[in-house]
Amino acid sequence: MEAFQYWLQGFSVATLPANLMFAFIGCVLGTLIGVLPGLGPAAGTAILIPITFNLDPIGAIIMLSAIYYGAMYGGTITSVLVNVPGEAASVITCLDGFQMAKQGRAGPALGIAAIGSFIGGTFATFALMVVSLPLATFALRFGPPEVFALLVVGLSLVTGLSGRSLLAALIMTFFGIMLAMIGMDPVRGAPRFTFGIAPLYDGVGFVPVVMGLFGVGEILVSMEKPVLEIIKTKLTDLLPNRKEWKVSTGAIGRGTIIGFFLGLIPGIGAIIPTFVAYVVEKKVSKHPEKFGTGVIEGVASPETANNSYANGAMIPLLTLGIPGSPTLAVIMGAFIIHGLTPGPFLFKERPDVVWGLIASLYLGNIMLLILNLPLVGFWAKLLEIRYQYLYPGILLFCILGAYSLNQSVFDVGVMVAFGVLGYIFRKLDWPLAPTILALILGPMMERALRTSLEISGGDMSILITRPISAILLIVAAIVLISPAVRGVAKRAGKD
Amino acid sequence: MKRAWQITCLAFVALAVFTLVLSFEYPYMDRLGPGPGFFPFWLSLITGALSLALFFHTTLAKRVGYGSGTLLPDRLGALRIMIILVGLVGGLVIFETLGFRITLLLFLFFLPLALGVRNWWLTLIIATAGSFGVFHVFYYWLKLPLPIGVFGI
Repeated sequence: MEAFQYWLQGFSVATLPANLMFAFIGCVLGTLIGVLPGLGPAAGTAILIPITFNLDPIGAIIMLSAIYYGAMYGGTITSVLVNVPGEAASVITCLDGFQMAKQGRAGPALGIAAIGSFIGGTFATFALMVVSLPLATFALRFGPPEVFALLVVGLSLVTGLSGRSLLAALIMTFFGIMLAMIGMDPVRGAPRFTFGIAPLYDGVGFVPVVMGLFGVGEILVSMEKPVLEIIKTKLTDLLPNRKEWKVSTGAIGRGTIIGFFLGLIPGIGAIIPTFVAYVVEKKVSKHPEKFGTGVIEGVASPETANNSYANGAMIPLLTLGIPGSPTLAVIMGAFIIHGLTPGPFLFKERPDVVWGLIASLYLGNIMLLILNLPLVGFWAKLLEIRYQYLYPGILLFCILGAYSLNQSVFDVGVMVAFGVLGYIFRKLDWPLAPTILALILGPMMERALRTSLEISGGDMSILITRPISAILLIVAAIVLISPAVRGVAKRAGKD
Repeated sequence: MKRAWQITCLAFVALAVFTLVLSFEYPYMDRLGPGPGFFPFWLSLITGALSLALFFHTTLAKRVGYGSGTLLPDRLGALRIMIILVGLVGGLVIFETLGFRITLLLFLFFLPLALGVRNWWLTLIIATAGSFGVFHVFYYWLKLPLPIGVFGI
């Protein structure tokens, strides 16, 4: 009954005209970010944070979240029409989506992607409504040792699941925590590593770092081979035919379940659910050999999983305060900028924000379906903008976003410096997501560890003598050790 | 790529040593418990150890996780990247002196031309509309403080 009242409260907040408008603007901007190559959802969301400065926190968070899941829709358009994913989660859609476009079936490919995304997103939002309250209530029992262990699990998952080299991923995680140490000590408030530079007293801003690593860095990589070839195709017929509907129904159902459950695991990222959904679809198909030649299930399942994941991944963020991806880390940063801390206490202190946001996810999914089906042709037109105009235009917004956060040219410099680093790390194939998550979670982690040690009088065993904390640390150890064990076993098998 | 990985590892070792040395400037423990130097001390030690481990792993292994591509772009790609970086750094230098509108006008005008656009008048129109339009939206409508330069623009 209590949950039902919260749901009603959420809908009453989300349906306020101003919040509906913010959700709509977020959906449009998100789709735009998804469509434009060179601008991923993490950088796109970060760039647009300053727009929300003068907004009420609920409206701001609704808009930024709509940008996040809107980008998931938008990324499909470039995958199908250009064979270049607008964002990483749409990589697998290129395989069959682009082939369908070449056969003149781009319309049904984009249509089924939009419909599947709507179904997946809506299901995940419903599940989010059901499970978030019990999970948040449970998490209220957490003291500093449990919080520390939980953050270690979150970072371990992000580290263990990203990149080819676990060591490189670990170094990138610790690099992020090191960056987080710059500024005021989170426990005593004393300045650290500031070198007398005034802007560093506030720490290294995550917005310039995200925009540098994911925005400028991505553009620099794109500048190596910037020209896109667009498939010219009819976009009049967007709905699949009866046969395609038949095969897509099961694919959408499976994609929904896969995306949602993988979304619950922090750090898994948006790419893995789409790959798993594609592989499962191929396995259950009666004609697996046709995958990659333009079958509609190859688009329906990963695209559904993509959006189901996006909304499912909100669960660890909202209930535990653990962002599962760089984009969610940016959204978490936006929460903090607006004076809100995601986690179990938010459910108690600001239920209007949490339930308003959750309800807005339903409405946003409906808006995206309406926006995407009739406007696919318009979004496709944007792909014809020449890169010589497009990339400077994106950089303009990066400069604007970095500067307006603190009205500081120093932040723009930080963005440029991290842009170069982002370019280098991309070329090296070192993962960037752990750095961003560690930058956001680092101060909380340090605070939780030091407070735990203050409670125990410096005795580290507090972390393993409390059951929840011990279990969480065992999970973290398994996550980090298992890739190494698998590697050794693989090598032993070869020998 | 192997060499690039090794250099990156050594750069992280250097960063870890630098952080470790600086961490001694802050108290490791105080009367309440771990002090501001506690976390940096352990973090730099672990980062240094991990970086060294990856360095030796990369050096000794015949084949590790590094990609097969090259770090450096081709000449044309490098030229485009340099143009973007020069544009960004140049913009950074004049941003507060000349203000948002003039800086971004120059940025949006010269960057496309340097990247190979020939239609300079169309570029000028786009640059003017882009810089002044964005300023208007963000400064007047969204109330974001953006720099106004020495010419009052």
